[in-house]
Amino acid sequence: MGLATRHLEANGIPTVIMGCAKDIVEHCGVPRFVWSDFPLGNSAGRPFDVESQAQTLELALRLLETAPAARTTVSSPLGWTAEAAWKHRFLDVGKLSPEEIAERRKEFDVVKAVAKAKREGA
Amino acid sequence: MSGPTVPFASEDDVPIRYMDRTREYYQTLGFSPYRWAHFTDAPFTPLSTPLARARVALITTAAPFQPEAGDQGPRAPYNAGAKFYQVYSAAVDSKPDLRISHVGYDRANTVPEDLNAYFPLARLQEAVAAGRIGSLAPRFHGAPTNRSHRVTMETDAPELLRRCREDGADAVVLVPS
Repeated sequence: MGLATRHLEANGIPTVIMGCAKDIVEHCGVPRFVWSDFPLGNSAGRPFDVESQAQTLELALRLLETAPAARTTVSSPLGWTAEAAWKHRFLDVGKLSPEEIAERRKEFDVVKAVAKAKREGA
Repeated sequence: MSGPTVPFASEDDVPIRYMDRTREYYQTLGFSPYRWAHFTDAPFTPLSTPLARARVALITTAAPFQPEAGDQGPRAPYNAGAKFYQVYSAAVDSKPDLRISHVGYDRANTVPEDLNAYFPLARLQEAVAAGRIGSLAPRFHGAPTNRSHRVTMETDAPELLRRCREDGADAVVLVPS
């Protein structure tokens, strides 16, 4: 998505990207970015919370209007939960037993094969 | 050293380092590390049409539900069979059923039961109704989540640009899932 936003912008269309993975989006380098400190999958606001979705979109629209330069990030003031414990649970490899690691490796091999078949059939 | 207790936020309440976390995870599983796209600069085009008169396009990484492609429900495991490898477009008034089982969202912490949390079409339509933005482009576009940066840069991004231009978009909102 970062590469697409860069391409549009370089060709004269202003863009804004809404996302949760702050490091990945900023590593790519994008013109305008609204960052929500939410679990990946909630780039546009909290589920079933219209107000938070409207607020997040409004940040994106304001950013389109007012960003003074490229690589401007606006951090949404909204939080996911009061505690940060959820942040430790994403891909927490330290919690996996050797058996679970072997199992996940097998699963990922299958995923890669399925993706490859689909890609080549596309 | 002791002084008044300052109510700072918790030390661990910082942005998740997704690249480190993902690198460590896949290395532990025995896979070679992914290289994320990286630039130290970025292009910039100022908005030249006031939003109240602008036509706005929406780009998503979500995938249309495909009945034949296995479990794409909110608790589906990562489903590579539901991926797509070509840019798609659909009418914004088509009430699209879009899923994210084909990407690595945070399955430990969220259940994607509300489309609006990753696809802000309804909120954009409300912004049009409120006069905040002029109009929506007639179509939204789907961007493939391809691991190949080359394909993204040489094929998918130019195709997205072509379609946005065709629709007369003055600005684009991109929402990865």
